[in-house]
Amino acid sequence: MISKDELANIVGAENVSDAEAVLLKYSRDRSLVPAGSPECVVWPTGSEQVGEVLKWANAGNIPVVPVSSQEHFNGGAIPRQGGIILDLSKMNRIFEIDKDLKKARFEAGVTWGRLTAELAKKGMRTIMPLLPHADRSVLTDTLEREVPTNTVYDYGEPMMAFEVVWPTGDIFRLGSASVNGYPDSMSKGGNPSGPGIDFYRFVQGAQGTMGVVTWTNMKIMFETKKDKVFFAPVEDLAYAQEFLYRILPRRVGQEVVLLNSTDLAAILAEDMDAEFEKLRATLPPWTLILVVSGLLRRPDEKIAYEVKLLREVMKNEFREMHLSEALPGFPGLGSKMLSLLRNPWPAHLTYWKNRWQGASQSLFFIARPEMSPLYVDIVEAIAPRYGYPVADIGSYIQPIEHNRACQVEFTFFYDARDEEAKARISALYRDAAQALVGEGALFTRPYGDLAPMVYERAAGYVMALKRVKKLFDPNNIMNPGNLCF
Amino acid sequence: MAIVKEAYRALEAVVGAGYLSDDPAVCEGYRSGPGGYENGLGYERVMTRIPGAVILPRSTEEVQKIVKICLRYKVPYVPYSTGFYGPRSHPHIEGALLVDLKRLNDFEFDEKHWYANVGSGFIYAQFQEECLKRGGYGVIGGGGAQASVIANLIGDGWSPLSHRIGLPHRRILGTEMVLPDGEILRTGSLAVGDDPFWGDGIGPDLRGLLRGYTGLRGCLGIVTKMAVKVLPFQPERLEPTGISPDTALALPEKRVKWINYIMPSKETQVRAMYEIGKAEIGGAVTKVPLFWRAIAKAECKEEFWDLWLKETPETVANFHIVRVLLIGFTNEEQLEYDEKVLSDIMQELGGSPRRTKPSDESWIKNADSAGMWLMCGSYVSVDYVIETLGQATEHGQVYADLKKKYTPPLMPDHGDPGWFQSFELGYQGYSEFLIYWDQDENTDGVDHFYLETSKMNINHRFYTSLLGPHQPMYLTGPKYGPNYHEWMLKIKNEFDPMWLCHPPVPFAHDEFVRRAPWMHKLADWESPREFPYPQWLKEKMDAEAAAFHVKK
Repeated sequence: MISKDELANIVGAENVSDAEAVLLKYSRDRSLVPAGSPECVVWPTGSEQVGEVLKWANAGNIPVVPVSSQEHFNGGAIPRQGGIILDLSKMNRIFEIDKDLKKARFEAGVTWGRLTAELAKKGMRTIMPLLPHADRSVLTDTLEREVPTNTVYDYGEPMMAFEVVWPTGDIFRLGSASVNGYPDSMSKGGNPSGPGIDFYRFVQGAQGTMGVVTWTNMKIMFETKKDKVFFAPVEDLAYAQEFLYRILPRRVGQEVVLLNSTDLAAILAEDMDAEFEKLRATLPPWTLILVVSGLLRRPDEKIAYEVKLLREVMKNEFREMHLSEALPGFPGLGSKMLSLLRNPWPAHLTYWKNRWQGASQSLFFIARPEMSPLYVDIVEAIAPRYGYPVADIGSYIQPIEHNRACQVEFTFFYDARDEEAKARISALYRDAAQALVGEGALFTRPYGDLAPMVYERAAGYVMALKRVKKLFDPNNIMNPGNLCF
Repeated sequence: MAIVKEAYRALEAVVGAGYLSDDPAVCEGYRSGPGGYENGLGYERVMTRIPGAVILPRSTEEVQKIVKICLRYKVPYVPYSTGFYGPRSHPHIEGALLVDLKRLNDFEFDEKHWYANVGSGFIYAQFQEECLKRGGYGVIGGGGAQASVIANLIGDGWSPLSHRIGLPHRRILGTEMVLPDGEILRTGSLAVGDDPFWGDGIGPDLRGLLRGYTGLRGCLGIVTKMAVKVLPFQPERLEPTGISPDTALALPEKRVKWINYIMPSKETQVRAMYEIGKAEIGGAVTKVPLFWRAIAKAECKEEFWDLWLKETPETVANFHIVRVLLIGFTNEEQLEYDEKVLSDIMQELGGSPRRTKPSDESWIKNADSAGMWLMCGSYVSVDYVIETLGQATEHGQVYADLKKKYTPPLMPDHGDPGWFQSFELGYQGYSEFLIYWDQDENTDGVDHFYLETSKMNINHRFYTSLLGPHQPMYLTGPKYGPNYHEWMLKIKNEFDPMWLCHPPVPFAHDEFVRRAPWMHKLADWESPREFPYPQWLKEKMDAEAAAFHVKK
């Protein structure tokens, strides 16, 4: 039995609740993962309170599910074994935006909507995943390795040094933020590595099972001065991938995405009822979208050399690739697409994946780009078995690191009120995942049902992971029942 | 001291008689120094031992068997690849088995997906050549092109090229290692199959066990295979020129170019790095110590000193170089663009270009670590830290100020504040401070300086590379994290409860301070009366400490 009074002593009575309506809100999300209720919700306002709550929970073997975002899509924050929700949304300070060091430091509760707005005021931006919900936590999405749309930076990972509260309640700053007295220090928190071992790796992709990250430093960059958005209709996915293998290692472009007509229509339609079906019917099967940008200095010249390479490659090697600033039949798309790629999905609108049928389930994984056509074929072969039309599958391919890899994402749309449809999508999701795993799809973020499917193939890794987990979380209080814990 | 006969026979059955030896002549060949990194210091004299036997496995499976035999017979062992890292790579205990990984030299390259899969014996010279052939490149760390790629990447892995390429940790993809308990751990995509192309863990990432910021010096297992990310370079060939040792790579001038700028002040020098980072141009942006120019020009020790003694504290203080590598990754027009942007920045800041050779002597081709021995015979980097440009550009002066107190025995360098540069397009800054000394003289002052830098960094709240096994854990542990040492200790005890993997690392520098009488006056931090070793190691360490004092 959880003592609300004891928690109130730590965070204040106004920051604890066991009201039924509150518990209900945290018991489910927008995924297919079954509901599970917490017994209590606490809203700490600082790292020390997080530490005290975890000490208390650790002493009493009480499960703790950390939550930072206000929207959830993968089931990772649904309590499996009761316990408390540790909601960090009130820890939402942006401590600094440093233009010289090109970094921002902020707490877990800072959302994409808030951060992008504050950065824009200073002429800055950050790399981001495709259309994150404005109410998602930037820290959580980054920690969970949401893949950014920007492929040009060699350094990929945007997180720098951060603070974690271990399940024992110990507050620990890692990387170069580990110095005594940080941030009042010569070290500014630019390096996530160390001290001693790479603690930061243990909490990445951990779905809150290893500790609670309270704030982070993150890379930011100057806004571009000029942009050209290119589109290419794509019939042959393999051909498009070969084109990306050719151009992306030459460091061309900022944001690059490949979307099928269903996903792109769901993103572009302003009035779903009036536009979605028409868009879906007229858009090409796939659309390659590539943004070429001019930066702080000589922006036109930067764009010019990148465009020159693109034109040469298309003329001499990829004659069937027609990359242009207009997608035939869709005038004025460039500026709209640019805004979409550089901003989160507005909080006041239904999330783009849920606008069509009210709910959706995405299946995503890391892959070799050349394998993506096979993965599309696999899912398209399985979907009809569950009565799901192939044309209704949303498909999105995100090149990573000069296209040496990519993230493939399939989205299945359904009506959340239709329990039978929900059950079918759930079965389709599992079956597709099983088939994809068998063909080498790499699920590095195994949520819900995916976890046992993936971990059964990684016995050695699981064994070592459990040993490390036990050192930091001896009583397995952190989000128990998730991953392999 | 040889290892027990039963263990020796079991090991021989694994690799064959030709790849195992306890011949004193062979073992002597693995003595730390002379002529090595950190050579001649107290740590080397007090802590290193000649191995009891040397074994050269050929595969991960053989390494696993070796580790299991060591566990069965309680034989301490030390993984060893190319041994650049001086005393800290060598056995610290009598009767240890040195596991030389040079025969693990497999190599395969995936051109389309930009990685090379290498064994622990594969070195950077081979790696970089294979990368360049395919239009890619990697970072040859400060250890030089003769260093093992894997050994370097789990403890170091940076150079001026890191301005574009960034943290070495991010280049570690699918990796295979033998844990100290004999279990094989495969990380990244290797955790679920045979394809090593991806580095992230399945859920939490156990690459966290591999290195930390500057490595664990082999005390947490043996890495046998690693897929290493290669970065796209440019397609034109860099032609080898010259006759050894004066070799270089001729650069295709329209695609690759080094340019040196002399800046009017430190302030403009630093500002130039910020602005280059903001403009996102360049393949390297660095400032190097003035005496490196003398090293580069000199062909012998005497010539170095002739050149160097012409400098003064004033010339050193007024030397503000920014050395920039431009690369036309995209095409020739990119190089033109980068050069124009660079020129704009330099005009704004008053920088003036200097004639620069159209060749690369160091960093793409190699890391010129060999030259570091030229002046005095011994050297070590007392810090090589990645932080921000905010710390990097200030750190060296604090080192230079402390160093004055210890010169001599340290080499007089007219107060040079060391090396700093941009990392990851200015998101990070790097500073390195090197010291030089003559190992034939009394080096107690060098030992003192080395340790005092740790206190200096704590007091000034600098991040530092020399944490973990590089300095006393009980000195740095409480001050970073805090208490990172306690977590490290838990991990060590979990995976190596017998402490057979390179004992007594990571407490070797604590052990050194305890044993070396000349260090005692500096030991003003709280340290337990007994280090948390298992009983056998405690007895062994006590015996070795006693033997050292008798010998003294």
